[in-house]
Amino acid sequence: MYRTSFILYRVRELLKLFSLYFLWHFVTAQNNDFFGYDQSEIITYLLISTFVGDFIYSTRTTAIASEINEGVLTNFLLRPLSYLRYYFTRDLADKAMNIVFALGEYAIFFSLLHPPFIFQTNASLLLLFLASVLLGVILYFFISVLISLIGFWSNEGWGPRFIFYQVIGIVSGSLFPLDVLPKPVFALLEWLPFPYLIFFQSKVYQGQLPGSEIVSGFLILVVWICIMYVVTRFVWKKGLRVYTAQGR
Amino acid sequence: MWLRALFGRKGFVCILHKDDDMKYISLWIRVTLQTTQVALASRLGVTLFTVGKLLRFVFFMVFLSLITSKTKTLGGYTIWEVILFFLTFNLIDIIAQFLWREVYRFRSYIVSGSFDMVLTKPISPLLRILFGGSDVLDLLTLVPLLLFMGYVSTQINEITVLNIFLYILLVINGLVIAMSFHIFVLALGVVTTEVDNAIWIFREITQLGRFPLNIYPKAVTFLFTFLLPIAAMISIPTQALLGILTVRGVIICICLSGIFLSLSLLSWREALKRYASASS
Repeated sequence: MYRTSFILYRVRELLKLFSLYFLWHFVTAQNNDFFGYDQSEIITYLLISTFVGDFIYSTRTTAIASEINEGVLTNFLLRPLSYLRYYFTRDLADKAMNIVFALGEYAIFFSLLHPPFIFQTNASLLLLFLASVLLGVILYFFISVLISLIGFWSNEGWGPRFIFYQVIGIVSGSLFPLDVLPKPVFALLEWLPFPYLIFFQSKVYQGQLPGSEIVSGFLILVVWICIMYVVTRFVWKKGLRVYTAQGR
Repeated sequence: MWLRALFGRKGFVCILHKDDDMKYISLWIRVTLQTTQVALASRLGVTLFTVGKLLRFVFFMVFLSLITSKTKTLGGYTIWEVILFFLTFNLIDIIAQFLWREVYRFRSYIVSGSFDMVLTKPISPLLRILFGGSDVLDLLTLVPLLLFMGYVSTQINEITVLNIFLYILLVINGLVIAMSFHIFVLALGVVTTEVDNAIWIFREITQLGRFPLNIYPKAVTFLFTFLLPIAAMISIPTQALLGILTVRGVIICICLSGIFLSLSLLSWREALKRYASASS
């Protein structure tokens, strides 16, 4: 329905990809050893992390806060469906559409620039990568819903979301691999959920993690999903108690 | 007078009933105060938004220091000089957001039919849409930015008064280019109802100017120098401050912004001819 809008949105994504690539290509051309990463490794990391980010971060759950604030939520509460499951299904549909277009964009990108990209051929690593992306999708869904649920208590849910975007913009590893940070900082980040949205997936794809770190990474990811699920359910129930259907 | 010269000539489809530019300035001040009052109604949101912007700034500084930590330079520029490019981008970005905030709301004018009412008012519709929603709170981050810019300037040798004068001149010139981009977006909005992603594309493009343009391939540099003058908007003012710009460069910059502004006003006029008022 809004074709121009969608095309321009995809152009934006492509622009981001090009600018990130040019920057890192230049930086690594100056010095082929960036904290232990050579040019092809860093380019592969960034292309994979951008692709994964495109998939994981595309979400419709941002609309939940305004639906609460405007009373639109009432329409859903009256229907025989789970609101959160409904949104998860919408998210998956959205991601499916985005991934198709992202693949097309990457095809254009690769044919134009021929980046030094390392294609992973190890089937086990590819399967682990896929599993980590799917878990990342679930984790991000709960985090994003949780932020939107602020709408039950405040009309200003966009403020925390804006801060959240700034934080994950750097601590999820979408700008650079997090393991180039000082060790104490990286060690602290490893216990937070954010590196398991992009950084972990990209490292799994590249096969740069030993087996023990892959296992511990998956464990932390699953634990965070469980925590976020419990907290989201709790906040959702609390929120419904204070929901006044204001605006309807 | 200058407002009329820019927007009020026949052919640019701007209806100016009053000759007095002061009326426009007082109208802008009034609308700006009203917009700021509305924004102040959500103080928590404004505070969080400002904190978010400062966080983004700090995070990007970390990123800059990381990518220059090995080579100590980027594209031949030292870390302080690279930071200056980033600060100039921020300076123009903050002022552009402050002045032309209403452009971000233009889509709702078109799809709801409210733009018809703007057209019937005895003021220039372009001025109303461009400057009709300036929010002083957008300027909150400007003070720390200018202070930091002053500090960075002390870390760079040989910044003269002439360099500073040229920098201010070219930043104003950069703002004219930024305004032209916003007018292009408005014209697109009139024709297609699409504004949001178009304005974000503009912001994505300008973000390329956060780094010295010579880190990009030559074709990209050419594109962003002459077709989409990001260089004239961000990079060249910084080069002027660093004292590595020729008079020829300054003249080319000013010519480019003049051409870009003329084209944007032309596109606005053509877009208005196609406005169907379909939503009202």
